[in-house]
Amino acid sequence: MGYTFHWHQALEALPAMLAGALVTVETALLSMVIGVACGIGLALARNSDNRLARGFATTWVETARNTPALFQIYMTYFGLGSLGIFIDSYPALLIGISFNNAGYLAETFRGGLRAVPPTQMRAARSLGMSAPQAFRLVVLPQLLRTVFHPLTNQMVWAILMTSLGVVVGLNTDLTGVTQELNVRTFRTFEFFAMAAVIYYAITKIVTLSARLVAARLFRY
Amino acid sequence: MIETDFSTTDLLFMLKGAGMTLTLTFWAMLGGTLLGLILGVLRAVSPWWINAALGAVLDVFRSIPLLIQFILANSIKSIIGLQVSAFEVACVMLALYTSAYCTEIVRAGVLAVPATTRRAGRSLGLTYWQDMRHIVFPIALRVSLPSWTGLTLGVLKDTSLVLWIGIVELLRASQVIVTRIQEPLLVLAICGLIYFLISFPISRLGAYLETRWREYD
Amino acid sequence: MRLHALAAFAGAACLLLSPLVQADKLDDIIASGKLRCAVVLDFPPMGSRDEKNEPIGFDVDTCNDLAKALGVKAEIVETPFPDRIPALVSNRADVGVASTSDTLQRAKTIGFSIPYFAFKMVVLTKKGANIGSYASLKGRKTGSVTGTFEAIALEKDVKKWNDPKGSFRAYQTQADVFLALSQGQIEATVVTSTVAAATVKAGKYKDLMMGGDAPYDIDYVSLITLRQEFGFINYLNLFVNQQVRTGRAQELNAKWIGGLLPELTIKGVYY
Repeated sequence: MGYTFHWHQALEALPAMLAGALVTVETALLSMVIGVACGIGLALARNSDNRLARGFATTWVETARNTPALFQIYMTYFGLGSLGIFIDSYPALLIGISFNNAGYLAETFRGGLRAVPPTQMRAARSLGMSAPQAFRLVVLPQLLRTVFHPLTNQMVWAILMTSLGVVVGLNTDLTGVTQELNVRTFRTFEFFAMAAVIYYAITKIVTLSARLVAARLFRY
Repeated sequence: MIETDFSTTDLLFMLKGAGMTLTLTFWAMLGGTLLGLILGVLRAVSPWWINAALGAVLDVFRSIPLLIQFILANSIKSIIGLQVSAFEVACVMLALYTSAYCTEIVRAGVLAVPATTRRAGRSLGLTYWQDMRHIVFPIALRVSLPSWTGLTLGVLKDTSLVLWIGIVELLRASQVIVTRIQEPLLVLAICGLIYFLISFPISRLGAYLETRWREYD
Repeated sequence: MRLHALAAFAGAACLLLSPLVQADKLDDIIASGKLRCAVVLDFPPMGSRDEKNEPIGFDVDTCNDLAKALGVKAEIVETPFPDRIPALVSNRADVGVASTSDTLQRAKTIGFSIPYFAFKMVVLTKKGANIGSYASLKGRKTGSVTGTFEAIALEKDVKKWNDPKGSFRAYQTQADVFLALSQGQIEATVVTSTVAAATVKAGKYKDLMMGGDAPYDIDYVSLITLRQEFGFINYLNLFVNQQVRTGRAQELNAKWIGGLLPELTIKGVYY
């Protein structure tokens, strides 16, 4: 074994990597927010009677689920560029991940909406609630319970997907920062091992917090 | 006709890349499913401490981006001086990654078999392994197959990440052509179409099996 | 009993003698019958692909020459610029024939041969960006391939100029830089005069043009391999010498770049 580990270099770079980790979490959160919003929209569009909306939503969902996330990011970055729409690496990553999230979450929400019996809605309306009120007070809590676990999974996937930004030149997220350091010093193992530990810590924190939140929200 | 430098040679080059994608998926699913079967059953029947330990180890594969797993595996392989090709590294890492998810799927499948059914079988005189083979296996298979096809699709798409360790699969092949002829939209559209054509049948098959087997409930 | 003792003695002897019979990379390559060269294929005319997507270029031909000299088959391992050294270190390639600038920072990790080519750096920009010299890069959006000689120099100058309108983006491959330039994401980059000439001539990217010389030192590039493979590095040194001596290097230069082979020695220092 002719490799000597230079751990001190990796430890010195820790602040830069943690800054990158912050960007990673921000990006994942932002993409989840966009993804949930679009996902609900897509779920409703797929259930609607408007053929155009249904077609559009189905195309989005099927493309997002049948092509790799890396491909979607690559297409956003280079494909749109050739049409004259210039998208930088960070927006391309964000759009790519959000597109992907929306596609998967649309299916989750569709399943969730199906899981809440329509009798609930009818009962709420017959008690005198308006439609938005009924949705907010009766359907939504039950929906949330069904979709919470898949939502957490999707959040973890979003965090892991941010690592793909490095392929389109992003150098501010955790993997991007690590790659920059790697390219200058070639200490691949030390830097990426540390990045792996940081990713593990982030995902563990997310899943544990989700479990705590679920325990509180779904007490009954 | 559209003016383009994209030739049939290029299409064949991309299809060769698609072949590499499918090969990687095949080996990953083979290794991952076998390993997942063993570990999944183990996790379903073991005492809590073995369960927790196995779970923690497998969890690592699901909590680190696959790209970083590839980079680390490649780097570890060269540090300890192992003489294997990047392709073999990719297959092994994908198989391990798949097995982490497959273990959960198998475990959920085995645990979905009602304990009462199994006890009834045992009380009729079946041995432990007969019970496993004739009662647990068919029911668990029915429950886990939709998730398993979903996993196959996921692995198919994750093979695109091996471009980072130098293997020419479909996405990398597309990149090569884009570099040469500078028509990213066209080439990437064809690439997306190929991915779609490969995965759509698999997902339709999964959905079909799911609805067909649900009839028997 | 006698047989056991004999076996144990043989085993111990093998263990003790093994450091003496350890093969080095040169032996490994000849024994395996295969030379894996890391080559950059988005860097014409040193390395690129033809219409059949086969690797072609000055570096590709040099790799083939090296393999012929060793009596083995050449295998081209495509690596984008930032992946040349990782490919060597992770044993995906035996040697890098990839226009690698011989910087001291890299010499800490890998071993360099004597230079086999030298580049001049120029500014590459787009028509209409109005960039005619290196100095006018101040306050403009620039970019280059991460970790390369010209990227490090350009980024240092951008930081020195400290113009709020100026910026530097690092890309993962040379192809990405050209794509970004032609799409307008960056206004100019600094590349070798050879690739600038080849890219402008090929006309694949619309409206690219050269914008003056860059005031960098001449970029000498060498063959690279693992740092501790002294036997192989010595062989590579002799190989480069022979390529020039026999006129082969000039032949390749005329074929791919045109004109005379650049001067490969530094006056006043023995190297």
